[in-house]
Amino acid sequence: MSTDPFTQEIIKDALVALGDEMFNAMIRTSMSPIIYETTDFAVGATDARGNLLAQGNGVTGFLATLDTAVQSTLEHWPLDRIRPGDIFVTNSPYEGGGTHLSDVVILYPVFVDGRLIAWTVNKAHWTEVGGTYPGSATTASTDIFQEGLHLRFLKLFDEGRMNEALVELIRTNVRLPDSTIGDMHAGVAACRVGGRRIVELAAKYGVDDLLAAMDSLLDYGERMTREELKKLPKGVFTAEDVVEEDGHGNGPFVIKVKVTITDDRMIADFTGTSGQAPGPINLSYAGLITGVRCTFKAVTNTEIPANGGCFRALEVICPEGTILSAKSPAPVSIYYESLLGAIEVMWKALAPLMPHKLPVGHQRTVGATFISGLLPGTEDLFVMGEPLVGGWGAGIDHDGDAGQFCAANGETFNIPIELAESRYGFEIDQYALHDEDGGAGEYRGGKGVVLDYRVTAKEAFLTYSATRTTSRPWGLAGGGEGSTNRAEILRRDGSVETYSMVTGARAVEGEIFRLVSATGGGYGDPMKRDRSRLLADLRDGYVTSEQARRDYGFDPAA
Amino acid sequence: MRAASDVGGTFTDLVYYPVDPETGRPGAVQVAKADTTPPEFEQGVMNAMAKAGLSPAALDFFAHGSTVVINALTERKGVKTALITTAGFRDVIEIARGNRPDLFNFNFRKPRPFVDRYLRAELAERSNFRGDLVKPVDLAPLPALLDFFRAEGVEAIAVAFLHAYVNPENERRTVEAIRAAWPGVAVLASHEVSREWREYERTNTTVLSAYVSPIARRYIERLEQRLADGGFGQKPYMMQSNGGIATAAAAKANPITMVESGPASGIYAAAHVGRAIGEPNLIVLDIGGTTAKCTLIEGGQIKVSTDYYIERDGKSPGYPVQTPVSEIVEIGNGGGSIAWVDAGGKLHVGPQSAGARPGPAAYGRGGTRPTTTDANLLLGRIDPASFVGGEVEPDWQAVDAAFAPLCDQLGLSRAELARGVIRIANANMTTALRLVSTNKGYDPRDFALMAFGGGGAMHAVALAEELKVPRVIIPVNSSVFSAWGMLLTDLRRDYIRTRLTPLAPGSIDAVRAIFAEIEAEALRDFAGEAGDRAPLFEYRADLRYAGQEHTVGIAFPLDGDAPVDAAIAAFHEAHEKRFTYRLDAAVQLVNFHLVATLPVDKPDLAERAVTGLTLADAVKGTRRVDFDTHGVHDATIYDGLRLEPGMALSGPAVIQEPAVTLPLPPGARAEVDRLGNYHVHLPQPEGARP
Repeated sequence: MSTDPFTQEIIKDALVALGDEMFNAMIRTSMSPIIYETTDFAVGATDARGNLLAQGNGVTGFLATLDTAVQSTLEHWPLDRIRPGDIFVTNSPYEGGGTHLSDVVILYPVFVDGRLIAWTVNKAHWTEVGGTYPGSATTASTDIFQEGLHLRFLKLFDEGRMNEALVELIRTNVRLPDSTIGDMHAGVAACRVGGRRIVELAAKYGVDDLLAAMDSLLDYGERMTREELKKLPKGVFTAEDVVEEDGHGNGPFVIKVKVTITDDRMIADFTGTSGQAPGPINLSYAGLITGVRCTFKAVTNTEIPANGGCFRALEVICPEGTILSAKSPAPVSIYYESLLGAIEVMWKALAPLMPHKLPVGHQRTVGATFISGLLPGTEDLFVMGEPLVGGWGAGIDHDGDAGQFCAANGETFNIPIELAESRYGFEIDQYALHDEDGGAGEYRGGKGVVLDYRVTAKEAFLTYSATRTTSRPWGLAGGGEGSTNRAEILRRDGSVETYSMVTGARAVEGEIFRLVSATGGGYGDPMKRDRSRLLADLRDGYVTSEQARRDYGFDPAA
Repeated sequence: MRAASDVGGTFTDLVYYPVDPETGRPGAVQVAKADTTPPEFEQGVMNAMAKAGLSPAALDFFAHGSTVVINALTERKGVKTALITTAGFRDVIEIARGNRPDLFNFNFRKPRPFVDRYLRAELAERSNFRGDLVKPVDLAPLPALLDFFRAEGVEAIAVAFLHAYVNPENERRTVEAIRAAWPGVAVLASHEVSREWREYERTNTTVLSAYVSPIARRYIERLEQRLADGGFGQKPYMMQSNGGIATAAAAKANPITMVESGPASGIYAAAHVGRAIGEPNLIVLDIGGTTAKCTLIEGGQIKVSTDYYIERDGKSPGYPVQTPVSEIVEIGNGGGSIAWVDAGGKLHVGPQSAGARPGPAAYGRGGTRPTTTDANLLLGRIDPASFVGGEVEPDWQAVDAAFAPLCDQLGLSRAELARGVIRIANANMTTALRLVSTNKGYDPRDFALMAFGGGGAMHAVALAEELKVPRVIIPVNSSVFSAWGMLLTDLRRDYIRTRLTPLAPGSIDAVRAIFAEIEAEALRDFAGEAGDRAPLFEYRADLRYAGQEHTVGIAFPLDGDAPVDAAIAAFHEAHEKRFTYRLDAAVQLVNFHLVATLPVDKPDLAERAVTGLTLADAVKGTRRVDFDTHGVHDATIYDGLRLEPGMALSGPAVIQEPAVTLPLPPGARAEVDRLGNYHVHLPQPEGARP
């Protein structure tokens, strides 16, 4: 063990930097827009036992998926069967790392002198993993078997040799094999980049110093978090919310939380939440931990990079078999809507106490949209997958942001219109803020958007899912509720169909898939809104004359 | 006389040298500094000239770099700007990309667009991604729109239509109509600023360029006037972000090209010096007071791309600027960076900086927190007798007071803490250097580290050891490298065009045709800028595997037997180097990149005179210097101004010039080359590659 305190610091910083290095490697190598634009992936490293050291995140929604995946791998594979050159793959929803089948985890054990000292891990949304529907996304499934290929802690590489049979199996069972296999290579490349750096660190500082730095890094995360925990209000706080439906017309499903904060602990107890649903909105317990960690991090310390130590003071309680702790073979394809429900219900319980850390309710949906069809001209299959931006809630001292991705996303980028039109069988007629009612307050909710895809292929199919389609983003301190999310199909005959969850809805050339996202909730009494701000809102079109009169008691004509 | 001025935040640097009209040989480089004088920056330039006793009439060449564009942006001091977009898309600059880099901060606030919504108008028009004009622009609403803008006090208008990068016809018609109806307004179309796809990035860049356009124009015109009044018979050149200079007229037409001119000229100078001394592969580091910037030069070529942002960091998405900029990684670590301890007991250095005011504690101007410079002073690396060029007596009491609280908190002696500060500062810079080298697949052992800026020499050797770079080069004029670099540059334009083209042996005709189109445009742009000489062309392209989004830039020479095959092969290799694998997939050309340069006549680099001094003549004495892991030694102190070509010396030593301090630990050996550059050779560990 080194005598000098700074070497430890420097190794720790190098471990944290590794998350960023792997993140960049992944983003630059992937073949799927859902990875390089939506950044629907996470990369990171754990110690030999699966304690998270560092994570490079594209989205918040993978915060507990890397370390738990290592922990479960160690349950499936005894140490003597994990050898240098092995690489594992899993997408099992109900165990460590689990979300849905599209999110595939690649795990790379890092050896130095024959000793397992760390893991590098990658979890990414692959474009296609087979199943009943293109893009492996569905609101219609009733069990896991319809949702795609289920890979449960398999060796993708065995002592450096690629498992050709497994790769061929994947290739044969997906609709866009080049893209899927490309995603696989990108994941392996990201893991190797991270693995190489860990081996370099071991060579430079010695294995013992490196391992000591790993432990010290975890302790540091714990110390920093506990400092913040001390500052939070203590007590028991509760909230309740709903997930409207499961894609099969069942629902609403209740989500309940009781958050207990003591001097050195936070406990999130979801007892009382509805049982798992017949349709695919179920979240596994591993996914619930991610959700709770997100809100925990938002109210403790958003500054330091997440590691396992940060979450030692956190406990999650939920009985088995709820929509937040679903068991096999529950369908899970659109698990993220319930994940958001879990993140936001805890946020809702705490927001009145921590208004400088938490704004009010946002669009609370990924608004995941998949459009598929055959490209005009080449007749090649295209599958576009994209989340939708919406309105965030106002805060105690600011208006909400307009057109941002939801809390489960993060470093997520919309697909540029000019790229999308070159790649898919549609043109986009508008991508704009809308002026639907909602979000009035002393501080306004951010505006939702309207996005029109006009089909240029002979026919195209829409798969869409959202919550907050009848319930609305909540306000606080007199602020109004926001608006709702939905998809529409504008038919050639002028009729309009509205959807909250739909799989494979068909439209023909010239018809429009219209997506509308919610405006966030408002904060404070609208009557107290600064009149100069309101005048600017009217000028900018963020508030209509009618809304000014009705919601703000202000007559623009006067 | 050739001169260049670089306007910085605090000082305006002037660098100049005479050229012997008989021999064409350059004389010694001289430097003058004056205070920067916002908002009339040209006054500082004239003051520096006056200080140097230099009349504009004596100049044959004058190049100028300034922070006027970046300052107007970051201080929000541009003009009221309006935006006209394709109908349905005026909110694109507000929605931006929807991302939230500060992932777990649910109280995140996205950056506010530079144009308020009421000044964002729409016109009915459309082109598609193939470049077909689907709907000609309807200009009927334009007169009323312009009346509204006029009434609102708008001074600049940006026009950005979808797919204008491939078909600019509707934009062209719109800006022509605006210019005809309102000659006084500054108006820029997106295709005049960028010919790449990604509507948010291109629109935002157009808006930013329009926003600063009247400011930049007035500034350049005042400078031209002052120079002309002083008798300057030529036109001044303006430094751009791509490492080249532009005529004043070109810079005024699209001022956003000047956004990163300071770092760009330093990088260009590094490449130029590297080529002159046979070091084409360089990792380049520029350490200033607040930040360190680094880049990589391969084969003597600077890397220019349009993947540039302002105000972007781990918390904010910033604003994209889709203009050619020398690739730079910048971190908040410089001489003034402040050391601090967080709630978990971890020592950090930067990104907060003591800046020029109050500056490091040792300046005695009220700095109460320890900085990297203070640590270097404490360890004996900086000579207290010639602190800040001998102009400042170190305030040791202030240094003690600044270090004491952290020493107590961490239970360390002052020297231990100082060592820790340096080590952490170095680790931060190493991370940045890795981003441009190992992270992109380069082996640092194939490179030399060239360091400049106020703190470059101070840290370079330790960083080279960390990165395993075998050699360090501290170039001559390293403390005014950016200004000096402007005297080495040529006129340069980068033309980058998104034109999705599948690559197969048969596609060479299509490739040639598009490059020929761009060449024709370049010839028009350069016409009359430097006599009738034709520019030199360099062909590059951004390629990708079909299905991938991100591209890899490669050279695409059009001569040779099978240029497409060669380009594909180069792409596979570059892709593998960068991303560890290659695919057996079709390759697409996404962006055509034509680099057009028009060389400016200039003398060769000045050689350092040999007067017969010996090494002993350069010795100033000895000093105790803490070399961290190499121990504390009595180091020989050399006066760098008395070192001459051919001289060599070994550590423990420190080479000092008024604005350069180069510590050499035991085992390091420095040589002076014919130009006066220092080459430091590090002892290589056993088993190192030959």
